[in-house]
Amino acid sequence: MGHTATPQARSGGLKATEHRLANGLRVVLSEDHLTPVAAVCLWYDVGSRHEVKGRTGLAHLFEHLMFQGSANVHGNGHFELVQGAGGSLNGTTSFERTNYFETMPAHQLELALWLEADRMGSLLTALDEESLENQRDVVKNERRQRYDNVPYGTAFERLVAMAYPDGHPYHHTPIGSMADLDAASLEDARAFFRTYYAPNNAVLSVVGDIDPEQTLAWVEKYFGSIPGHDGKPAPRDGSLPEVIGGQLREVVEEEVPSRALMSVFRLPHDGTREADAADLALTVLGGGESSRLYNRLVRRDRSAVAAGFGMLRLAGAPSLGWLDVKASGGVEVPVIEAAVDEELARFAQEGPTPEEMERAQAQIEREWLDRLGTVAGRADELCRYAVLFGDPQLAFTAVGRVLEVTADEVRAQAAARLRPDNRAVLVYEPTAPAEGPAGEAGDEAAGGEAGEENEAKGEDA
Amino acid sequence: MTDTAATMTFHPQPQGGPPRPWDFPAPERAVLGNGLTVLHCHRPGQQVVAVEVLLDAPLDAEPEGLDGVATIAARALNEGTARHSAEEFAAELERCGATMDAHADHPGMRVSLEVPASRLERALGLLADALRTPAFDRAEIERLVGNRLDEIPHELANPARRAAMALYKELFPAGSRISRPRQGTAESVARIDADAARAFYTAHARPSTSTLVLVGDLTGTDPVALLERTVGEWSGGAAQPRPVPAITSDDAGRVVIVDRPGAVQTQLLIGRTGPDRHDAVWPAQVLGTYCLGGTLTSRLDRVLREEKGYTYGVRAFGQVLRSGPDGAGGASMLAISGSVATEVTAPALEDAWQVLRTLAEEGLTDDERDVAVQNLVGVAPLKYETAAAVADTLADQVEQHLPDDFQARLYARMASTGTVEATAAVVNAFPTDRLVVVLVGDAARIEEPVTALGLGPVRVVRG
Repeated sequence: MGHTATPQARSGGLKATEHRLANGLRVVLSEDHLTPVAAVCLWYDVGSRHEVKGRTGLAHLFEHLMFQGSANVHGNGHFELVQGAGGSLNGTTSFERTNYFETMPAHQLELALWLEADRMGSLLTALDEESLENQRDVVKNERRQRYDNVPYGTAFERLVAMAYPDGHPYHHTPIGSMADLDAASLEDARAFFRTYYAPNNAVLSVVGDIDPEQTLAWVEKYFGSIPGHDGKPAPRDGSLPEVIGGQLREVVEEEVPSRALMSVFRLPHDGTREADAADLALTVLGGGESSRLYNRLVRRDRSAVAAGFGMLRLAGAPSLGWLDVKASGGVEVPVIEAAVDEELARFAQEGPTPEEMERAQAQIEREWLDRLGTVAGRADELCRYAVLFGDPQLAFTAVGRVLEVTADEVRAQAAARLRPDNRAVLVYEPTAPAEGPAGEAGDEAAGGEAGEENEAKGEDA
Repeated sequence: MTDTAATMTFHPQPQGGPPRPWDFPAPERAVLGNGLTVLHCHRPGQQVVAVEVLLDAPLDAEPEGLDGVATIAARALNEGTARHSAEEFAAELERCGATMDAHADHPGMRVSLEVPASRLERALGLLADALRTPAFDRAEIERLVGNRLDEIPHELANPARRAAMALYKELFPAGSRISRPRQGTAESVARIDADAARAFYTAHARPSTSTLVLVGDLTGTDPVALLERTVGEWSGGAAQPRPVPAITSDDAGRVVIVDRPGAVQTQLLIGRTGPDRHDAVWPAQVLGTYCLGGTLTSRLDRVLREEKGYTYGVRAFGQVLRSGPDGAGGASMLAISGSVATEVTAPALEDAWQVLRTLAEEGLTDDERDVAVQNLVGVAPLKYETAAAVADTLADQVEQHLPDDFQARLYARMASTGTVEATAAVVNAFPTDRLVVVLVGDAARIEEPVTALGLGPVRVVRG
């Protein structure tokens, strides 16, 4: 760890060991005996970017089928056994990977390894038409619930489709289209498994209150005999010009509660210092309630209810910066847009102040402490760096790299990327004036991140 | 074609080793010089420290016609102090890498702070300023009111929130605070100004009726001394805790459809009120409710999701609304929620009712009960890995007038609850003729088939 901003930062003391089975499965182990829990995380190097035209959503639909049983696990047995052992579990699908994870009481770790190995090696013996039909309906309802039946629900899909041109592997989001979900066949699912679900296309991490030697022996016992196989096609080329090269624009007239201005910008690939600099730029501009855009639009101009920037980090294509502004009352979009343009242009010229840099770095550092503060978060990050960048150890040094970025690098990224000719804009104009007497603060378990599909609806006890 | 299963070596399912001991953390208590009650709890390795402050400023303390003033007052705590303007305060917090949120609910007002341990003292200083000398600046309050008014249409557009609003309105007596939106209506919020927010805060917020919960890696810290130096500066007179009025509700079976022409799904919220955590039935009710709808292998999802594919997931839950100091007058919301495709709305309800009837007739199985206990008790160490999760539960216990070891004992009580008790509790919690059904969906397509189910009178209201 090179940085000293918080000398006690957890990441400083964490270690991981790396192993590889003969069949190509990469294994990362990290010990932490503070709590008697162990997290198992398995990343398969396959996501929606591997899907072909006419079969969007297949990677995610397939992820659901991974919970429908395998040679020694009946129907919903995977869920039943993990939950019955006091564990929690899920799977998610994004553009670049599919992950499966179990967090177990430490004494039940072996069960999670057995379950993951069983489906990695024998899913097809259990996969049938009935579970495909059922999960197709479940996924279509997931799409309705999270996107089609929610105001602005399809915004992300529309923005992504503009940022990555037709035919680009990232042009569509992981949820896929209804028509393609309808078209997916059992043979598609089988072929998908045979192509991508191989030990040599996966990374397994185990983190927590574990005995590394014993854990490795279990991994060898359960996963070791699963044959590796080649034949995975190289992913389609995701390279694109650094900037879009012009301003794209789409206006949606829909029954939404207020006008909205959203934009995406192409940003540097994840894993680069430039991506970290861009992240800091987005944080200064639109992360939290002391950011420039929040201060300008929400506090001073009072033209917006909410205003912020998010970043979708991608390794195989340009990352995305995502601006989301919901208009206040009767404010027109051009008023907001002019203010945003002014702030972006000013920032590209001036760069961040030292105070802004300190705040942005402190925010990102806390986010990292949060992510690495649980065994499941740590297991996921180890897999991420192993799959996408070939080195799990980078997870422990990530925060240090963000703290090393200079204000000038941040300014340079803003100038190079946050420009009108690198922007896809989505404007919402409400079709019917919202009316109604009042609002209720209900309780709702929200779904995952943008661009990430879950197997199960959020669990809460 | 050969499947890899043919070549993989299978082994018997492993049975697991002996469980390693884990207990729900026991906090230490102290009272600061200013009368503020403190619970603190050292969690080694948890570098993001969580702080919760409970203020005895419940929604029923809001003056007539000013629903939402507690919410505005809570939000104003983030908007400047005697020392810092609103923008400066936000900047100072973020400089600590901290987040601070405050909100108002039926039991009281709650401020939540999370901050890396290295900057805890600085952040506690800001929290102390916010509690001690909130600015309630006229322009900032005006902005918060405007912002709140802008939020309301967004909440109304959200099917889950719209359903909750309709259910509360339906269940609770007109005129009771709990029947109305927690954060106020457009009409009531528009009346709120800086004077009203300040008056509400000043009348109800003081250290002697408040509690602070501090959880995280406190290595090298004397928590009580640290708190004395920061929030110990907050002063205020003594006051009696506010009385907690009893909650009454009308759960006669009926259906309310909130019309959303063209909606592709129907949001379901089916509910009534039941006992709170003080009631001896609570552990059995938690177990039984989990068996009914706690996860995708529970009874409801086994049919509605995994057999029929009607939904992405339906959940049953019990959530405490408010509790009284002696265990009297408290209530929880017992509910089933989820969304189903529009065209299968009535079939999904019919199946849900069949699940409830079968449960009442045949009861839970011993296996179901065992799995529920193993899950609910077994996940505790996972669920309470972070400081924030522990702080939140400790704060809930205080807010609900429960002993500090309630959660720890709850696990033992669940483990000793039998199948028969769990069955009785969940059947009593969800009687098929005492459930209020709210459907947010396309009335033209769902009203007729839902009416035919005979769940009770059906009424359609405008979206």
